[in-house]
Amino acid sequence: MIAAQIIAARGVCKSVSTEEAELSILENVNVDLAAGEVLAIVGPSGSGKSTLLGVLAGLDSATSGSVMLLDQPLHELDEDGRAAVRAGSVGFVFQSFQLLPGLSALENVMLPLELANIADARSRAMQQLVSVGLEHRLGHLPAQLSGGEQQRVAVARAFVSTPKVLFADEPTGNLDRATGDKIIDLMFELRAEHNTALVLVTHDQMLAARCDRVLSMYDGELR
Amino acid sequence: MTVSASALRRDFGLAWRQLRREFRLSEYLVLIFALVLSVAAVTSVSFFANRVERAMAAQAATLLAADAVVSSPKPIDDEIYERAAAEALKVTEVTEFPSVVLTEEGETGLVSVKAVGSAYPLRGELKLTQQLYGAEQVATDAPGSGTVWIDPRLAGRLQVQVGDQLVFGNSEVTIAAFIAFEPDGSVDAFQLAPRLMINQSDLSGSGLLGEGSRARYHLLMAGEESQLESFVEWFDNSTDANMRLQTVEEGRPAVRSALVNARRFLGLAAAVAVLLSAAAVALAARQIAERDMNTGSLMRTFGASGATVLRVVLIRLGLIALLATVVGCITGYLAQFGLSALLGQWFAAELPSPSATPLFGGLMCAVLALIGFCLPSLVRAIDTPVLQVLRRDMPVAKPSTLLAVSSALAALGLLLVWLTRDWKLGLLLLVGMLLVLGILLIVSRFLVGLSVRVKSGYLRRALESLRRRPDSVSLQIAAFSTGLLAILLLTIVRNDVLGAWQRQIPNDAPNFFLINIQPDEVPDVKAFLAQRGVQNDTLYPMIRARLESINGEPVADIEFNDRSGEHFAERDFNLSYLQEQRQDNKILSGEWWGSDVDSPLFSVEEDFASDIGVDIGDELQFRIADKVVTGEISNLREVDWESFAVNFFVVGTPFGLDDKPASFVSSVYVPDGQGEFVRDLVTEFSGVTALEIGTMLKRVTGIIDRAALAVQYVFMFTMLAGLLVLWASVLASRRERFREAAILRTLGASRNYLASSTTREFALIGSLAGLIASSVAALIGWVVIEHVMELSYEFNWWLWVIGILAGMAGVLIAGKLATRPVLNQLPIAVLQSQV
Repeated sequence: MIAAQIIAARGVCKSVSTEEAELSILENVNVDLAAGEVLAIVGPSGSGKSTLLGVLAGLDSATSGSVMLLDQPLHELDEDGRAAVRAGSVGFVFQSFQLLPGLSALENVMLPLELANIADARSRAMQQLVSVGLEHRLGHLPAQLSGGEQQRVAVARAFVSTPKVLFADEPTGNLDRATGDKIIDLMFELRAEHNTALVLVTHDQMLAARCDRVLSMYDGELR
Repeated sequence: MTVSASALRRDFGLAWRQLRREFRLSEYLVLIFALVLSVAAVTSVSFFANRVERAMAAQAATLLAADAVVSSPKPIDDEIYERAAAEALKVTEVTEFPSVVLTEEGETGLVSVKAVGSAYPLRGELKLTQQLYGAEQVATDAPGSGTVWIDPRLAGRLQVQVGDQLVFGNSEVTIAAFIAFEPDGSVDAFQLAPRLMINQSDLSGSGLLGEGSRARYHLLMAGEESQLESFVEWFDNSTDANMRLQTVEEGRPAVRSALVNARRFLGLAAAVAVLLSAAAVALAARQIAERDMNTGSLMRTFGASGATVLRVVLIRLGLIALLATVVGCITGYLAQFGLSALLGQWFAAELPSPSATPLFGGLMCAVLALIGFCLPSLVRAIDTPVLQVLRRDMPVAKPSTLLAVSSALAALGLLLVWLTRDWKLGLLLLVGMLLVLGILLIVSRFLVGLSVRVKSGYLRRALESLRRRPDSVSLQIAAFSTGLLAILLLTIVRNDVLGAWQRQIPNDAPNFFLINIQPDEVPDVKAFLAQRGVQNDTLYPMIRARLESINGEPVADIEFNDRSGEHFAERDFNLSYLQEQRQDNKILSGEWWGSDVDSPLFSVEEDFASDIGVDIGDELQFRIADKVVTGEISNLREVDWESFAVNFFVVGTPFGLDDKPASFVSSVYVPDGQGEFVRDLVTEFSGVTALEIGTMLKRVTGIIDRAALAVQYVFMFTMLAGLLVLWASVLASRRERFREAAILRTLGASRNYLASSTTREFALIGSLAGLIASSVAALIGWVVIEHVMELSYEFNWWLWVIGILAGMAGVLIAGKLATRPVLNQLPIAVLQSQV
């Protein structure tokens, strides 16, 4: 059954204590995301976009408030519990690609399938790499690929487990305009194909405009 | 928590894939080399010890050449013969004593005579050759009357062949064969004189054995187990204390304790290699952990649990341990051939192949090193916040220092205890080694602190590098100087110590010991010495005795605080008697006796007194042959053992002792014509043996040299481990070095410029390591010579020259190898990527 509601976050606050004072990064944030919906989070540097993404994906915990991801209460789970929610259902694309340097393109794409104990990981990963146009690069190590190719491997890795939701943090931040555009087209294409919901953190207003909904952050608050 | 088989298979696949790819990374190479090195160091020693143990087990019966042996300093009682006959045991007599032979050309040689009967050996085989190292034949009888068999060492020394004549005692004998293998030969390190074997029936005609001479009589026995058992039972209950029974089960204590000592010393050398390798393991583990933190947080982003990440880390470590064990054991196995070549002949003629037991030790060493030194850093991978994938600036979890240090100490302690087979010694070593390393580290840090203040254009960039990484550089210096120190101590300092000892021996120090002089020969020997212009003609009586009780308590029941006390109390030793006090012995307490004593009194050497725990007024009881002498200690003496004068632990009053069987001994200085002196002495007094002190010293130092060479051989592993630490610590700074080099090259620095600045940096580090190692070595040499041996230390400049040059060369080679990739990298590649 596909959850109609992918994310339901209520009253999310996040603060860290520094030597001088308590520093508030997120303040009373509410976010909803429906299945298949595309949401952009925009805002200046340091406004808390990436922190919000981390909290919504369960990579980080909120100081207070509740976060439901795929009907699971992340705020009640520990680190391993949150990882189990992500396994096989959540994909990621990062600004700095985050491929494992020791693994080949194919092995990088296989990783989420293997961790979710999904059968025929190899053939599914190969298919996914073919679908992003990297059939001739299967055995290459990340260092042997260009930036655009590395990000395409990362996109293939994100979609290989047909996740219900994909979190993308500035996916084009390390790429030139033309390559970045190609990556975004590819992501949107695959997203539509699998009906994957997407949370996209970006600086790029043009990119944000392609999304169903845009949330603007300023100083830890949604405007 | 149970783990499903499929999850385990998956984790294994992940670990294997990571390892396969990352295997070529330098951090992994350092880790694996370091583990291989410690496994090799440890297993080479255990393989060697294992071979010796197996040889001893396999040859237990043949090592005695019998099933049991009764030994005594006087001829074996008839009673024993009768009992053995009653038990239907096969017996044969063997008599051993030192003597001197003379060739037709007038060459003399000290020999260890063994007179055997025709049934010898009862177990095992005696092998002979007709030519030196020629084809071996098994001896079927004792040497024929008038003929002898000799050790090839004697043939080499005297330049004699089969068929040549030797003068031996009163008679002339012919060499009939060379001894290729003697089953019960004293193949231990301290048999100084080569063997000469004669027929037991020739003994009485030789005139070599008189009352109280230094002979040892053995009765070899063989038979059924039940017969032996009943003999042993009878023996234990009846015979006098001078008789000793040795059975196969007891083995040969001398060989066994030599093996224990060899294993300890070699184990210590291996332990230092393990300690340094462990430091390299810890350094490499830190680099690997940094990589693993990324991998771990990414895996957890994709939904892996902490346990999965930990399992993958553990499986990878297991695979590394396995690989290092296999390669290390093969290396250790090959290296033990060197040890066997250097030391094997002390223990057995031929060593069998080792068993597989040392392999387990090798695996344990690798696993312990990984658990103790690697695991605490790698476990960080699961504690890394997952958010790191989004935010590189996240604070990174640091492993608990307490955990890291305590696991390293525990692992090292276990390894040391296992290596030395002695938990007290193992823990003592742990503390000692950490202390040495700690001191070296502090000294290195201090020197680095001093050097960075130096103003030098030539060394500017090298000094900058030291300033930036003072802790890492200090560790490099400390690790490398540990290896170098070990080698310097074993080579140059050892020679300095021996040299200092030899220098203090006065030119006219006695150069001969004369032993086995019979009481009736005393006046003639004195006349002979006077005629040759030999100054000292004092002959001291020597009585074989055994300490039986102290203050009425049998020595067997006494618990000695000191092991050497126990040793002295258990063996036969030499007593003497004297009326007048000697000038060269100083009375420390009590008084020397007058001429009017009416009961025996004893004077005891101070160290011996403290070893056996006695003082003035205590009563000693000695057994001399079948009589007992009891007396009080009237004084304690100080003896200068280095003077080469004849001295005794216990000297008694003539009262009670001068009627006991004795032979006389002396030590004399023969100014020149030493060969003639021995020849004439032996010709005139066939039973007297002249032991040349110089030759004996040479043989002892020869043994020390060989032992040192073996320990040095194992210390080679330590040197290599020191180089690995250097490599590992250079790797730790590699990222920074890459960046620096790229920026400098972008700004126009040539490859040569970069190469020469690293050369200067490593040469500086190497010379500091060399300086520390030589200075500490000199300090140890000085302490040993001035304060332990109380001799005068002579400053040896070579120690510094060699130490600093060796330090520079070693560090330069290792450092250049480790930084080569930095020079070969294109600057653009470095600046664009995250190398």
